[in-house]
This record gives sequence, structure tokens and C-alpha cells, in this order.
Amino acid sequence: MSALSFDAVDVGDELPQLELTLSGEQVRGYAQAADMPGGRFMSDEAAKAEGLPGQIVPGNLSVALFSRLFTGWSAGVRLKRISATFRALVRPNVPLRISAVVTEKHASDHGNFLECDLVLENAEGERLVTGTASVELPG
Amino acid sequence: MILDLHAHSDASEDSRAPLESYLKWLQRKRDLLPIDGIVLTEHRQWDAAADYRDLEDRYGILILRGAEVETDYGHILVYGVNDDITRRFDFTNVRLSAQEVVSEVTRLGGVAAPCHPGRPTIGLCEHYERKPPLDGVVAVEALNGGSRRGENERVQGLIERHGYGAFGGSDAHLVSLIGICATEFDDDVRSVEQLVAALQGGRYRPVDFREQVRAARGGA
Amino acid sequence: MSRTIDRSMVGEEFDHTEFPRITEAQILAYAASYGETDPRYTDPAAAARGPDGGLIAPPTFAVSLRGRHFMPRELPRNIGRNGFDAGKDIEIGVPIRPGDVLTASSTVHDIYEKTGRSGTMTFIVFRTTVTNQRGETAAVVDQKMMFR
Repeated sequence: MSALSFDAVDVGDELPQLELTLSGEQVRGYAQAADMPGGRFMSDEAAKAEGLPGQIVPGNLSVALFSRLFTGWSAGVRLKRISATFRALVRPNVPLRISAVVTEKHASDHGNFLECDLVLENAEGERLVTGTASVELPG
Repeated sequence: MILDLHAHSDASEDSRAPLESYLKWLQRKRDLLPIDGIVLTEHRQWDAAADYRDLEDRYGILILRGAEVETDYGHILVYGVNDDITRRFDFTNVRLSAQEVVSEVTRLGGVAAPCHPGRPTIGLCEHYERKPPLDGVVAVEALNGGSRRGENERVQGLIERHGYGAFGGSDAHLVSLIGICATEFDDDVRSVEQLVAALQGGRYRPVDFREQVRAARGGA
Repeated sequence: MSRTIDRSMVGEEFDHTEFPRITEAQILAYAASYGETDPRYTDPAAAARGPDGGLIAPPTFAVSLRGRHFMPRELPRNIGRNGFDAGKDIEIGVPIRPGDVLTASSTVHDIYEKTGRSGTMTFIVFRTTVTNQRGETAAVVDQKMMFR
């Protein structure tokens, strides 16, 4: 992957989107790797026992997927800060679209930085998770 | 004149949008979002000292301020906040009396307009199903940019039954969502006082820019 | 249900955990679990030739470090022990590498109340600061939990 330069990015630019559907097994795998023992992430039965409609995707996994937008975008990009608001339950086996748009760019003696808005939405365009990211890009 | 009547800067705990970033975004997206001004309606707070005239001059975009408060009939946008209103109501209280907010804000020179009325629990529609309607409501947010499918549509019946004015706002908490829904006024609105008068006057309508924003999205 | 929360606990440390030495396998497993493909986090040989000089943990790795106590024991029981993750804010510091010994210190950062689709909710923000064996900050993670 080649490195995208700071000068080549403009406010309003959208990063390449991620479209995926998480399986229940993938959700379980992440929960285990991330040491998240909650039954709600493991099975429909355990989640329903907690009053949920079924197995849910951990918020941390949504944030990890957001981070993939940047690691898969350009070599040398450094994520400095990432935030997310979990607006609605994210379920496995539901097509998801994950996107980022550049909202600010600023260069300083300390480096070249971009600010981005992040959205994880379902096929109906409902925003399930929103957030922001600050990234450093090579000049 | 088109104003986004409902936006949250990073002064609201759940927003990550600096005000200046909103203005830069609107300046850049002017052809897609013909927004003449925004109204910051931060959650549960009011900063009497905030002054954005410098930013207005720099970006040529009107910046007005209101607040979003929480009541027993859901959330309400308060326009025309003044010292009398902040002395009367503690904006941090999430259990304000909606009737008191509507009546007293009106009496004290402002307008209290229920927002996202179609939203479960914190929208007016659900409360009207089991409680008497509020006296003195002149307008509701018929178009909210953060609402889910069906929630904006639910408001039409409310507006027709009660004769409320209908306005729009983005409810933006992210820079890229500012202005996606807004309000078109027939009259000039250049101040909070003119905004209050305009909302009481009824010569406005919600405008929806979401489709053109979606259509304009592309990849980097 | 009473929602009186003792705000005096804001700022107090409720957990201090030193984790076992971070392993390469742990980093690779975390990266694989969410489909990461960047060789900085997935390919030790390629990472060694890269700018970091070796494998480093992905940016969100710090959320996988689970301390002994997820929340203070003295939070009132009437807000419910079964909260929901409402949000995350991660400030990423120095890279985390295999062999690092990380320590996490967690405090109550903020407590507030608001209403939403789910009704009246109490939000508690737990802040976890992760430092390495050199005292460098690897991450600061704010976890916003919603109780109702």
C-alpha cells in the first residue's frame, strides 16, 4: 500500500468505505480476543436472557472496525484519537456500511493532521454508531 | 433565509463538532447546503458569556444560540434564552415541567418548541397519547436530521391536529451532518429576537437536504 | 428509582492492574479478530522492516485490557449493575509492543443524567490510563456506561 500525502487530501473527501456483515462467530471471536466475557456478545440465548433482542456486537468492535478505515487507507497513517457514540444496537448478520469523511486538516510543526467524521450504518441508512477520528498523515 | 435551528457543538457532551469546523464545512458546501445560519442548541446548559460575532464576521454565517432542555413531555428547544429564563429554570434538570417551560418561556420573551416529536420517550407524540396536550405550543420540529425512519413522518398528524408550525433542524453532533435539515423563513432573521418573532409568525417551513447530500457522496 | 449518585467519587482510582507481559500472539489474535490487514499489526516480519521496527498492537488494543474491577464497588446498587456501553473515546499514545508490561489505572471521570429513547439514564464515564514499563502513556480510554 502506498502512502497518501497530506497535500492530496481535501476536506470533504470520503475514505474508501467498508461494507461487511458480521457473523455471530466473528462477534464471538472478537469478544474472546478482547476479553469481553458478556453473554450478550456470545449467543442469542444469553443476550435474550439479559432482555436484549439477540446477540449484539460489542461497541469496542465497532470502534475497531472504524480504525480499519484508516489502516486500510494509506500506509503511514497514524490514528491518534478515536471516539464513538453507540446510538443503537448493532446486530450480527446485518449488512453494515462503515464510512469516514475528512472534516478538517491542519499542518503544524508537530505534524500533519486530519479530523474525520465516522459513521456505521445499516442498509436503511440508519446511523447506529457515529464518531470522530484524529489521524496524522505523512507530508 | 435558511437556518439550521438545531445543532450541537462540542459544548454538548455527546457532540464532537467544534463550532468553527461547522462553519468551515458550511462555507465549503455552500452549493449543496445553502445555509445562512445555525442555531446552537446545547444540551442542558446555557453559557451567557458566549460571543461568536467574530466567527460570524469571518465566515459570513449567522450564529444564534438556544438550548435543548429535558422535560416530562420530552425534549424542548428554547429560543430567546435570557437571564429571566435561566433564573426561572435550571437547564441541567432533566425533569422540568414541559407546561411550565412552554408557558414561562413565552411569558419571558422566548419560544419553547418541542423537538424530534416523533421520537420514542423523548418526543411529544408519545406523550400526547396518554397526557393532555400542552397549552401554548406554536411550533414543533417536524424534520429532525437525527431521527430514525418513521419518526419524522409521525409528526405530520400532530401538526395537523394541533395547528403547530413546522420547522427543521439537523440535530447535528458531527461536523458533516450540519445543515442536512433546516428551516426556510420567508422573512429575514438576523437576531434571536427576530427568530422568536418569526417562529411565532408561522411563515416558515422545514427543508430537507439529505437526499442531495447522499447523492453527492463519493470516494477518495 | 433514586438516581442520587455520590459525585465525591469522581477522580478516585477504583482499579489499578498490572497485566501480564504482552505477547506477540495476543496482538496477532486481537488484530485478526476484527479483520485487520495492516502488516504493522499482523505481520511481524514485515513490521520489523517498517517504521516501527517491529510488530505493534492495533490502535484500539487497549480496550482489550480488562482490569480486576470494571467499576467501583461502591456505586449505588439502585442504578443497576447491568449497564450498556454508550460510547468510547480513545487517545492513542506510544505503541504497545510484545514484551511490554502495561499498567492500567481507572477512575470515575464523570457522572451525569440525561433522558433519551430509553428513558432517564445515568451516564458514568470511567477513564483508564494505560502506561508501559517506562511510564509512557500508551492509551487513555474513556468508557461511557449507561445505566437505567
